[in-house]
Amino acid sequence: MTRSRIPSPSPSVDDLRIDLAVDLAVDRLAEEFDDRAETQTVVDVVRTCRNDLSGVPATALPELVERLARHRLLVAVG
Amino acid sequence: MGSVDVTGVRHTLPDGRVLLDAVSFRIGDGARAALVGENGAGKTTLLRIISGDLTPEAGSISRAGGLGVMRQFIGSVRDETTVQRFLVDLAPPAVRAAWDAVENAELALMETDDEPTQLAYAAALGHWGDVGGYDVEVTWDTVTVAALGVPYDRCKYRELSTLSGGEQKRLALEWLLRGPDQVLLLDEPDNYLDVPGKRWLEERLRETRKTVLFVSHDRELLSRVADRVVTVEGGTTWVHGGDFAAYPAARIARHERLAEVRRRWEEEHERLVELVRTLQQQAKNSPDMASRYSAAQTRLARFEAAGAPPDRPPEQSVTMRLRGGRTGVRVLVAEQLELDGLMRPFDLEVDYGDRIAVLGSNGAGKSHFLRLLAGQEVAHRGGWRLGARVVPGFFAQTHAHPDWLDRTPVDLLWHGEPGRPGVDRGRAMATLRRYGLVVQGDQPFGSLSGGQQARFQVLLLELSGATLLLLDEPTDNLDVLSAESLEQALAAFDGTVIAVTHDRWFARTFDRFVVFGADGRVYESPEPVFDEARVQRAR
Repeated sequence: MTRSRIPSPSPSVDDLRIDLAVDLAVDRLAEEFDDRAETQTVVDVVRTCRNDLSGVPATALPELVERLARHRLLVAVG
Repeated sequence: MGSVDVTGVRHTLPDGRVLLDAVSFRIGDGARAALVGENGAGKTTLLRIISGDLTPEAGSISRAGGLGVMRQFIGSVRDETTVQRFLVDLAPPAVRAAWDAVENAELALMETDDEPTQLAYAAALGHWGDVGGYDVEVTWDTVTVAALGVPYDRCKYRELSTLSGGEQKRLALEWLLRGPDQVLLLDEPDNYLDVPGKRWLEERLRETRKTVLFVSHDRELLSRVADRVVTVEGGTTWVHGGDFAAYPAARIARHERLAEVRRRWEEEHERLVELVRTLQQQAKNSPDMASRYSAAQTRLARFEAAGAPPDRPPEQSVTMRLRGGRTGVRVLVAEQLELDGLMRPFDLEVDYGDRIAVLGSNGAGKSHFLRLLAGQEVAHRGGWRLGARVVPGFFAQTHAHPDWLDRTPVDLLWHGEPGRPGVDRGRAMATLRRYGLVVQGDQPFGSLSGGQQARFQVLLLELSGATLLLLDEPTDNLDVLSAESLEQALAAFDGTVIAVTHDRWFARTFDRFVVFGADGRVYESPEPVFDEARVQRAR
């Protein structure tokens, strides 16, 4: 895992990027767990992870959300 | 806002000697204070106490504003420390702790990828952001570009040992001057810097609004930067509230004042002792005098209990006697001499009695040139020869004598070496005394301070009978008084002197100036040249 060290220019731009990145994470995870979990389940897990990691710097958030969501999905559905 | 208050500090050495006592002074907001004193007087110890590395036996330190410290060893780092680790270690404690927490969380995540470990890593990253870590990294990028000419991401894993001493110093200074700490303690920040580097440092220190306490032996830097001078001498400190130009006179005046107060105290003490003696005799014959005798005794006891005022600190007595001897008129002839890959071919003639300063930027080949003249193996082309009765004596820049480290000065003097006969212990100690090294006579050479090692090297030159002195940065580690003593000794030396130096004050005492240019050209200048550009080498 890598850390991006350069802060983003403003919170609003950060939010847009995060939302886009999280959406992409949902797409990847939905495809990865296609035969084991409903898409809505994946969306819920990702949203929960996003909330749980709300204190994380914006640039690192998407990667951590996806990683945590994948871990939780694996625990839940195998 | 930044300030330092030192109150009643006392420090005792492991051997029981009190190094510092009753040390009290204040460095106010925005001050640029120089900390000066003899080699071994306790300057570095005092900085270590202020920085919290050492706990004083008594007294206290209080500070306002974060503290940034540049330790003396920076410039000579030869271990595996990376640029990244170096910058982390210079950062404020909260940033350091947050960085280490992120590093540890990353390592844990490599071992265990469970939810608690992921959340711990996320928390560590959050904390890194909270302490301003991302802003710090932006500053690190600015710092590495300024000091090394490359972005942080391209040099962060580079080992510090691959940087020159000047680059290491510059890296630390760029960070400390740009970083958040408002109080800077700089222990010999100018060591390893060439003259353009020193000038850069002077400008930056003059323009910074931070509070700076720095140790330096460079008289030019002291005179350009310091707006007050804290002196460590006689086991304590005193503060001269003016600049360095007025400092020597202020020091002499203080010493005279101390001596006068002490003289008066001793006169009064003598008078009281005499009074008690007289009244004692009278009391034997006259009971009426008994009460006066008793009162005088009480007065004397109180006077003695109050203690004598401090005396004038003992003057450092360093007496260098570089004798030399008459040589042929032509001392050195170099014809189309070229050190491989370092400079273009050049001619040089040096006559008996010449005082030649070799100037130029780091990396231009000056030290190699001296080593060649000293008889060491240095790849070169062209010719050079020494004249009749010319005996070279070499003072090495880095005091690189690994075979000396565990030997004592007395032992080294006893055994001698080719060209320098050994001397018995009595003569060795007498000579060491003249160089202010008698206490260090039986200590390993490696345990001596840089200044003490430098003085010992000059002593060896004295005993070697050299008639051509080859000095590579001889004043770099010498305190101000020792440097002046060396200048006097060189003035009285019957022979020829060739010295590589970045010490502008010292260089001005010479009468010829040979400049090793950044473009590889070697030329003679009627005046000292200090602004040769840095020699560029491929990275």
